[in-house]
Amino acid sequence: MRIMLNDTPIQLATNCTVAELVQQQQLKTEGLAVAINNVVIAKQHWSKHQLQNNAQVQLFQIVTGG
Amino acid sequence: MLHIANKSFSSRLLLGSGKFANPNLMQQAIQASGCQLITLALKRLQLEQPQDDLLSPLREMNIQLLPNTSGAKTAKEAIFAAQLAHEALQTNWLKLEIHPDPRYLMPDPIETLLAAEQLVKLGFVVLPYCSADPVLCKRLEQAGCAAVMPLGAAIGSNQGLQTRAMLEIIIEQAKVPVIIDAGLGAPSHAAAAMELGAAAVLVNTAIAASYDPVAMAGAFAQAVSAGRMAYNAGLSAAQSHAASSSPLTDFLAAL
Repeated sequence: MRIMLNDTPIQLATNCTVAELVQQQQLKTEGLAVAINNVVIAKQHWSKHQLQNNAQVQLFQIVTGG
Repeated sequence: MLHIANKSFSSRLLLGSGKFANPNLMQQAIQASGCQLITLALKRLQLEQPQDDLLSPLREMNIQLLPNTSGAKTAKEAIFAAQLAHEALQTNWLKLEIHPDPRYLMPDPIETLLAAEQLVKLGFVVLPYCSADPVLCKRLEQAGCAAVMPLGAAIGSNQGLQTRAMLEIIIEQAKVPVIIDAGLGAPSHAAAAMELGAAAVLVNTAIAASYDPVAMAGAFAQAVSAGRMAYNAGLSAAQSHAASSSPLTDFLAAL
């Protein structure tokens, strides 16, 4: 299946969860937040939340700022 | 001690983490400042860029992290940013800031109040960056904000307490801590804010963009302590005429 990851199309195996996507992208989970179709996904649901075809996945991270 | 929501802080100097030349300099400045509360921001992850390890050193220093909603132009965007920040840092503390106009970065009072009301209901500890408007600050307090953060001057402008007269009213009326945020460009500005009775100040640009941020952080820390001591000591009143503090020339009268 295909999803949009921060506006970049990527191919994924079906039944991929948010946690698996984060792992696949080799991302540190601390300071990371995920929204799918503009809904924030709580960290404790990442391992259960399955991505759907054409999902708009947005990743955000904590950075420095005032 | 500074009390915000259910936490106490011995330092009344809050730092913003932006604009430091590198993370090491930021850590040294934090240590020199003695600050126990630091703001952070959120941005969309750049997939091709490596993630900085910004958080581990801050966690080691045991500092309260205060994510902001910078970039939000409406209450709706700020609530979305708040939920992202909550997941990213697992904290319900939030610096609410909504400034739609990039030229002056003035906080939108209407969207800020709307967002504050909803975020408090969602369980966030809300510290709103806001205009130095006594009525707005009261409304934010009534909405359940844990503090109010009126501006001294425009963000990053280093112009000091341009809003002084309004800040005096805000401080007089407030039942939550008043943290002067934005525009403090010199330790003397921070000391003046503390002398007015501010509970704390938040400084970023004046430290991070100075020639020696570590030394400047120390200077701000001393200024904040001195200003607070002076406030507690009760300042002697200003008057328009001289009032001699010595017996002057009485002993010359015999000549």
